Amino acid sequence: MGTKISNIEYYLPETLLTNDDLERKFSDWSSEKIENKVGIRERHIVREDETALDLALKAAEKVLKNYDKDKIDFLLLCTQSPDYYLPTSSCILQDKLRLKTNIGAFDYNLGCSGFVYGLALAKSLITSRVAKNILLITSETYNKHIHPKDKGNRTIFGDAAAATIIEKSEEEHIGEFVLGTDGSGYKNLIVPNGGLRNRYDINAKEIDDGSGSIRTDNNLYMNGPEIFNFTIKAVPKVVSETLGKNNTTLDDLDYVVFHQANKYMNEYLREKIGIPKEKYYLNLLKTGNTVSATIPIAIKEALDNKLIKKGDKVLLVGFGVGYSWGGTIIKI
Amino acid sequence: MEKMKTEDFIKELKEALEIEDEDQEITLETNLKELEEYDSLSVLSIIAMIDKNFGKQIPSIDFIKITTIKSLIDLIGKEHFE
Repeated sequence: MGTKISNIEYYLPETLLTNDDLERKFSDWSSEKIENKVGIRERHIVREDETALDLALKAAEKVLKNYDKDKIDFLLLCTQSPDYYLPTSSCILQDKLRLKTNIGAFDYNLGCSGFVYGLALAKSLITSRVAKNILLITSETYNKHIHPKDKGNRTIFGDAAAATIIEKSEEEHIGEFVLGTDGSGYKNLIVPNGGLRNRYDINAKEIDDGSGSIRTDNNLYMNGPEIFNFTIKAVPKVVSETLGKNNTTLDDLDYVVFHQANKYMNEYLREKIGIPKEKYYLNLLKTGNTVSATIPIAIKEALDNKLIKKGDKVLLVGFGVGYSWGGTIIKI
Repeated sequence: MEKMKTEDFIKELKEALEIEDEDQEITLETNLKELEEYDSLSVLSIIAMIDKNFGKQIPSIDFIKITTIKSLIDLIGKEHFE
């Protein structure tokens, strides 16, 4: 008895923010430089009246076009941008999707490591016979937290949702997990105000980060260099530990999908770890960094473009905000 | 680890900053932050370059204090250089 990923679909909100738009807004920002360095040409942005829950709904509807929604007996929603503190957004989603009411549902708050954690949760729920067919949605809207004058973060992050179905299956297609947490880095990727530790501050002062990006403490803050330092130390270790736990080697793998953070960082990690280019997914050109949606979007794109096929062994590694990280190997 | 020659370090730094002009004079006294090419993206390249050549991660809080290339070398540690 095992578990497998059976379907993935994703949804990108309609509004585009292109590099040319950014170049017009920020005079010293070059469209060409952005694309060459971070590998992003455009990102999709939610409207003012659109939330992560709306994106989750659209992604779920897409995946349920080819799947009987009455088979779903558990709903997992990974987001750091819920509609409310309470009630749970996935409860609202259950109703909007008209799923059965005799199912489990809850939100969990993770970012870039969210999809790998979601797989770990889904595998556990199925293996423990709590559920059989799980709808896992990873939906994020960082742009709602980003200051309009924060050219750095507006360049990097895109909004998106992915819906993944994980089912009970005869053979095990989802391998062993390596999960990690280091809260000492919590301040390096954070929205300081608006939660219960620091309330939203209507008089919050503008802060210049020293390289022309403006924000207030009500907005997303990311210390890029510090995050890069963290990934350089942590990611090679996660890879070797995940390979070890799954009794396999880089050579044995057919493909590798890391969280798509930005081209420069992802390419540096690839080179440092020694993953051949042809086995490594690297594409965020038209989506930007969509946080917990990057990995499922990458898997779907890799499948559609025949970069991976049935039977392939694929290493998945998510890492980022928290700090939180996770790795596993799946068989397509 | 082998020690690095200062000239080689400056060469790698020029590459990391994408300074294409071969004749542009970069010395130990050059203030990194005043270079046209220095921005938040080039900081990533410098971090990568330091990791690749010295296996070290410089905390960003120390990075903020950097002025001249000499100050960067001091931060990495003079013992790594010839």
